[in-house]
Amino acid sequence: MAASTHGIIATFNTAAEIYHAAEKVRDAGFKNWDCITPCPVHGLDGAMGVRRSKVPRFSLAGGGIGFITGMSLIYFTGAVDYPLIVGGKPLFSPMFAFPVAYELTILFCAFATIGGMFILNGLPMHYHPLLKTDHIVRGLDDKFLIVIEASDPKYDAASTKALLESVGGTEITEIES
Amino acid sequence: MASSTTANPSAVPAVTANNGSGKALAIGVGGILLTIAGIFVSGGSKVAYAWLTAMTFWTGMALGMLLLIMIHHIFDANWSTIIRRQFEHGVSAFRWLALLFVPLVIASVIDPSVLWKYFDVTFDLASVGGSGTVGEDVLYTKKSGMLNFHFFVGATAISFLGWMFLASRFRRNSFHQDQDGDIKWTRSSRVWSAVGLPFTAVTLSLVVILWVKALDYHWFSTMYGVWYFAECVRGALAIGILIMCWLTTRGDYQGVLTKNHWYSIGMLSFAFTVFWAYVTFSQYFLIWNANIPEETFWYNIREIQASTGEVNQWKWVGMLILFGHFFVPFFGLIGYQAKISPKWMMVMASWIMAIILIDIIYNIWPAKKDELGDPLPFLAIHQLWTLTAVIGVGGICVWAYLKSFPTAKLIPIRDPRIGESLTYHE
Repeated sequence: MAASTHGIIATFNTAAEIYHAAEKVRDAGFKNWDCITPCPVHGLDGAMGVRRSKVPRFSLAGGGIGFITGMSLIYFTGAVDYPLIVGGKPLFSPMFAFPVAYELTILFCAFATIGGMFILNGLPMHYHPLLKTDHIVRGLDDKFLIVIEASDPKYDAASTKALLESVGGTEITEIES
Repeated sequence: MASSTTANPSAVPAVTANNGSGKALAIGVGGILLTIAGIFVSGGSKVAYAWLTAMTFWTGMALGMLLLIMIHHIFDANWSTIIRRQFEHGVSAFRWLALLFVPLVIASVIDPSVLWKYFDVTFDLASVGGSGTVGEDVLYTKKSGMLNFHFFVGATAISFLGWMFLASRFRRNSFHQDQDGDIKWTRSSRVWSAVGLPFTAVTLSLVVILWVKALDYHWFSTMYGVWYFAECVRGALAIGILIMCWLTTRGDYQGVLTKNHWYSIGMLSFAFTVFWAYVTFSQYFLIWNANIPEETFWYNIREIQASTGEVNQWKWVGMLILFGHFFVPFFGLIGYQAKISPKWMMVMASWIMAIILIDIIYNIWPAKKDELGDPLPFLAIHQLWTLTAVIGVGGICVWAYLKSFPTAKLIPIRDPRIGESLTYHE
């Protein structure tokens, strides 16, 4: 059985080159691809057409669940499980449940944000095919890399190679998965 | 980034002198004259309450701007450099606010029943539903070291002079830096911010306690200064957003503002919405939980009539503040798309300004009681004078801003952070 392909990697020499190459790869309609740069390149996310992170949705959901949990906790303990009048106050009031609900909103929101981040970026990931290549070392030092993965619906070994060549990539290589 | 220390001056749009400052002055004077006419319709006391509402509102806005300038300098912030200049124009209103405050003091000296009853220890509390005189009131005598005419005038005068001085330092430093680009102006602003922040924190707490909280001097709340601080900064951020909208529409800010600036000021507005809610809820919650009559009466008269126990209009105003001052801006500002839409932000900023005014009315007006000790209703003809006073004092503040506007560049072009601010990326 032939080794399957993870994707194709191309090398660029400057931030400007990879920026413009990224725009063209984006416009060609690729989805499963990435840029590897040794330093942050301002505006590269825009050139790649990266959408805003979906992590805030996790945060909002976590916050909402935390608030409901806090309110329910105080309601259940104070008004259902062990009803006890304290200081002439009602058995349940959103007033005194609020500090607890508020804290749990923040706590669950923080958990959901961290968890959502890990879920969305696929971490922890102990192995990645790219780490086998020689390119990656330069990509962490002085070269700029574009990787187009074979899982992309538009991926086709020959035409993708041609595209990367046409946008100025060098050392274009297929990577084993 | 070496290139970020100076921006190209020719890229900064020219500022036109004819910007409607005359119109603002006319509206301001008109509002003031209408408010004075209100004395003959509703009497001096109600108009004094209206005037105090307007003064508390607009002084708060100017204080918020001053605080944002100082917070910018003390944190060595970058993105806010482009909007800071507008706040520097805004704080030029302090001297006019100080002047407009004088009539209130004079009126209260002539007749303490007009506003601050604690100016006169012989004041008969029976006329507002109490008994005895102010001087016989044990809750007054315990607080009399602070709640007296001399302390009031001294604290108010020192506060206004201090704010005017701080405003003049930041304006001088920033405007001079446009000319020579010297870093010493930034350093000076940073030093004055370090001095000015604690000074302003103390003085804004003092004035809001003396002007507003002591209208009902029985009351205790350690959160009051913080509440006013939150109100001030929320208001100033809302004004900042409205100025950004105005200058974008007019063309000045075209190519200067990016969605990252909108996002940042939106985030700050959102953060202060939560902060305001935290502080305001804490005040309510602690009083609710402790359930001490000297504290709860303040909320009681804002919900039920003291004489009959019937629900009054202030309960619904309170509910409006709960939902309108917190839930509406909270959900209105939470999304990213909301924060980067100038149109939506203009709606939110206008809403926040309006609800701050209602919150200040809620804090001031129920202290105006009839002979049964019941607060006057929220919806009544005398609120018209609150509106005219707010327009009057506001017109003067806007005039002061517009008068200062053409005297300097649109943005601090030689500020060491201006390059970072112009190319700011979240």
